[in-house]
Amino acid sequence: MSEELRVSPIETRGVAGKKRYAMVVDTRRCIGCMACQVACKAEYDTPLGVNRTWVPYKVVGTYPNVKKQFLPRLCNHCDDPPCVRNCPVDATYKVEDGGFVLQRYERCIGCRSCMAACPYNARFMLPAHRTYSSITRVVDKCTFCFHRVTQNLVPACVQTCVGRSRVFGDLNDPTSEVSWLVTRNATQVLRPEEGTKPHVFYIGADRNQTEFGRDAYSKPEVMEPERSAFKRHFKI
Amino acid sequence: MGDYVWFHDVSWHASYAIYFFVIGILAGLSFLSYGSWITPALRPLREKAAYLSLLLLAVGGLLLVADLSQPLRFLNTLNPAYLNFSSPLAWGALNIVAFGVASVLYILELRKGQDSARGKMLALVSALLALGLPIYTGYDLTVHQSRPVWNTPVIPVLFVALAIASGSAVGSLLSGGNAAAQKVLREYMLWSTAGVGVILISILGTTSYGGTAQELTFMILTTGTMGLIFIGGGILLGTAAPVAILFLAHMRQQATATMLMLSALLILLGSAALRYVLLMGPQHLQTLY
Repeated sequence: MSEELRVSPIETRGVAGKKRYAMVVDTRRCIGCMACQVACKAEYDTPLGVNRTWVPYKVVGTYPNVKKQFLPRLCNHCDDPPCVRNCPVDATYKVEDGGFVLQRYERCIGCRSCMAACPYNARFMLPAHRTYSSITRVVDKCTFCFHRVTQNLVPACVQTCVGRSRVFGDLNDPTSEVSWLVTRNATQVLRPEEGTKPHVFYIGADRNQTEFGRDAYSKPEVMEPERSAFKRHFKI
Repeated sequence: MGDYVWFHDVSWHASYAIYFFVIGILAGLSFLSYGSWITPALRPLREKAAYLSLLLLAVGGLLLVADLSQPLRFLNTLNPAYLNFSSPLAWGALNIVAFGVASVLYILELRKGQDSARGKMLALVSALLALGLPIYTGYDLTVHQSRPVWNTPVIPVLFVALAIASGSAVGSLLSGGNAAAQKVLREYMLWSTAGVGVILISILGTTSYGGTAQELTFMILTTGTMGLIFIGGGILLGTAAPVAILFLAHMRQQATATMLMLSALLILLGSAALRYVLLMGPQHLQTLY
């Protein structure tokens, strides 16, 4: 990646001596076991109703030629993250060496500006009551398992992925597996038109999943009872 | 079927739309209070507009703080060590506080009961800071690059036009039978509401000719319950109807009290409806991505 491709000073693309962690998700290998989602829940005690990573699926095709298309989702740890720009109190910040986009819980005022700014819906509001943690009523998100990666471990979802669909590593290191995968395969990122330069790359992602579906139009009102129940239960 | 779609909550709820509405009226009233130093016909409105705008600032401020999930941490937005100036919210927090201070000083000056140069200067400062309020709330939406409708440069302009329209409407209701003030205010209402109409046409045109997200958002905005509020309440009742009534009055150079009151109420209804739809509509599609 050449330096001249950088357009924003916050980007770490090709900066010598700086790590740029990324995840490659090979959707051809994803079997939809949701183990990544469970591992993440176990790692962070993420409350019911919200997820740091989730695996939506869509049944595509016409019988008998049908199949489920999975698209594991998480925070894209963008190189130019709109959530960081929009947070009024710097509660969201980007770690320069590594590119992690993290959250300062003690500073977050809960204005949800970062949630509105995120094109990937990767952020969520923690409910008012949690069993094992006092961190409540602030915005939370995937951290790329910052605490594990800094101990030379891979993120919990990568560790547990049975199909090795998720691969994690430093994109600025040309010898890393993610660099090899991104170089040798046709990859996609979600919503590239937003200019966020995501750090989650997909191999073989289906456009039924990566684009806004036409059927999305009819869904909001259908899902309203679930949303209302969720908000009532968690008092948010 | 059998798809598994994870739903996400909308980021900003309806209370934010009420805040936009309140902040728009207070900005408009602040403009009128300053206008009274230049246009003698508006003189009876000077004190009323200034007091009401400060009262609405308190209401709006409380709404904004109550909408935070950590209300007491609103003080973080005033901590110089925390402020992130790339966020319109940070500028907005400073703007609200500055307006509050200027507004209190202005009212203290008004209570002296004389037309001083200092009073006029404070009215100008308050009005300029009030102008920043609809502009910052507009930018609050505009900077979100992934949201159709929000991410258009006309939103701050629309919010300023809505502020002038709704402020003038409240001013008209406050003026009662003052014919000279009503004559000025009906022109303000007419041209600012007409401006709102032009901007809405521009937004709708751009949105319907956009990509998939824009096209779907256009459908969400113009059909179902949202369509009823937007087209029915915001455009037809809240914009087209008052423009027609006020234009008739403009052509005849006279307007009855009923016509003015009806126009003012319709403008306020439309202003509230438009804020609600423009805030909530563009968030729906995103919740399903």
